[in-house]
Amino acid sequence: MSEAGDRLIFFWGRECPHCAKLHPVVTEVSEELAKENGRGIEEKEVWHSEENAKLMRSYGQALKKACGGSLGVPALYNERTKKALCGMRTTKEQILEWARE
Amino acid sequence: MKKLWRCNVCNDIHYGVKAPTICPTCGAKMAFTLIDYPESMKVIFDDGERLDEVDKLLEVWNKFAEGKPFKVNPDEVFVRTLAKGELENQKNHGLKYCPCRITTGDRFEDLALICPCNFFIQPVYKESGECWCGLFVKRD
Repeated sequence: MSEAGDRLIFFWGRECPHCAKLHPVVTEVSEELAKENGRGIEEKEVWHSEENAKLMRSYGQALKKACGGSLGVPALYNERTKKALCGMRTTKEQILEWARE
Repeated sequence: MKKLWRCNVCNDIHYGVKAPTICPTCGAKMAFTLIDYPESMKVIFDDGERLDEVDKLLEVWNKFAEGKPFKVNPDEVFVRTLAKGELENQKNHGLKYCPCRITTGDRFEDLALICPCNFFIQPVYKESGECWCGLFVKRD
């Protein structure tokens, strides 16, 4: 697991259907990355954990931009590059590129 | 700033910047007067219909989409998951927030996340023909 400030984070909601669809893709990428360099993707559920929601809000600027103006899930945030991906159309290739930057 | 108004003929309550010229319920003209929050609560009581079941939400959404350029997503399993999420958010966070968004903690900003939101202004709706969560999709 990476240290705070260097994490790749997947923010998701338990009742968000797009999150459910993207979840296996994120898991797959996370496993690939973990094998590659030991830096997998941490998962943070945001509707049932205020702590996770607060963390997500703390990255609000980048996430809102990626999510079309408001915070949304599914979303990914790279603490190292401060870059975010958001939405149901996120692909495996995009996640890999975002993680490897 | 929005204020509360009451029709002095039928006790309709309106929340808005201006009072309606014609009451949408009884048709009375120029009948609205300014009131405060406690009075509005006394008038409304707490015995209104609860939209607290998935089927009720589905009915409301279908009604909302009637005659509009969009419809409820035909994928019923998908739509029911969204409805459950909204009811969960209502239970835990007080309002039917979109389960594909997340609240900011600013109550005014978060009002924009109550479903159905004003998705017509969202770039994603313009580009893909779906609202952010996919509940409403453009008609063919």
